[in-house]
Amino acid sequence: MKDHPIDRRRALATLGALGLGASGLTLSRPRRAHAQTLGQHETVDEALKRLFGARPLKDGGGIVKLDLPLIAENGAVVPVSVDVTSPMTPANYVKTIYVVADKNRIPVVFRTTLGPEAGQAAIGATIRLGETGDVRAIVEQSDGTLLAVKREVKVTVGGCGG
Amino acid sequence: MSDIGKVRVRLPSSIKPGDVVRVRSLVIHPMERIERDSKGRIVDKKYLYINRVVATYLGKTVAAFDTTQSVSENPTFVFSFRATDPGTLTIAFHDTHGGKYEGTADVKFV
Repeated sequence: MKDHPIDRRRALATLGALGLGASGLTLSRPRRAHAQTLGQHETVDEALKRLFGARPLKDGGGIVKLDLPLIAENGAVVPVSVDVTSPMTPANYVKTIYVVADKNRIPVVFRTTLGPEAGQAAIGATIRLGETGDVRAIVEQSDGTLLAVKREVKVTVGGCGG
Repeated sequence: MSDIGKVRVRLPSSIKPGDVVRVRSLVIHPMERIERDSKGRIVDKKYLYINRVVATYLGKTVAAFDTTQSVSENPTFVFSFRATDPGTLTIAFHDTHGGKYEGTADVKFV
């Protein structure tokens, strides 16, 4: 215990550095902090701005396949699937997939977090659509590139109520 | 409503080691929608809906969904993972009222 003070000093310094690092991390990746408020009443532009800021959204035409019915007779249950061509190796994989429905009161429908273990970036879910409008899939790759595709879906009977 | 939290997980019938396996999962859940009062204002209450789905295989998270009320009632979620070893795939659904519903499927090779 003779060098206890130095140890403590060192420990504190390390802790401080860690804290700084951690706060830096949260600053650069604000998504975590917003985890509780993913779905908000907002317009789609506000939602995209909140999630991605000023980061450019590239056209993901050839890589991202967004599958939806052309006409959704019942907006309460609409199957959606997103397939991304990706090697899914630790060096290059699809990190997150967002599905956004432009005309919904809560435009952000869900966010999927994947890892290389997924083997294939193919996900699906059943969603609600309030009215006819675009549905977007926004894919974030491990290098930070954002790819977006969108498709219009005609909704016969809205499924969001309210 | 009594069925709330019932989970079904479906895997393909035959899986070979190293295969990328597509999983379909379904949970019975009301996924409450936004309610409005007679004046059209949004009723401020703690809505009951699933906001997180986590799929774990061999101790690792293979896919996670953060969901909002724009997801349908009794939702299904589809995802894939690479089956490397026999084990259990667990899918846990968490809702805003603290409910946790789990479904499992055994990954075994024939």
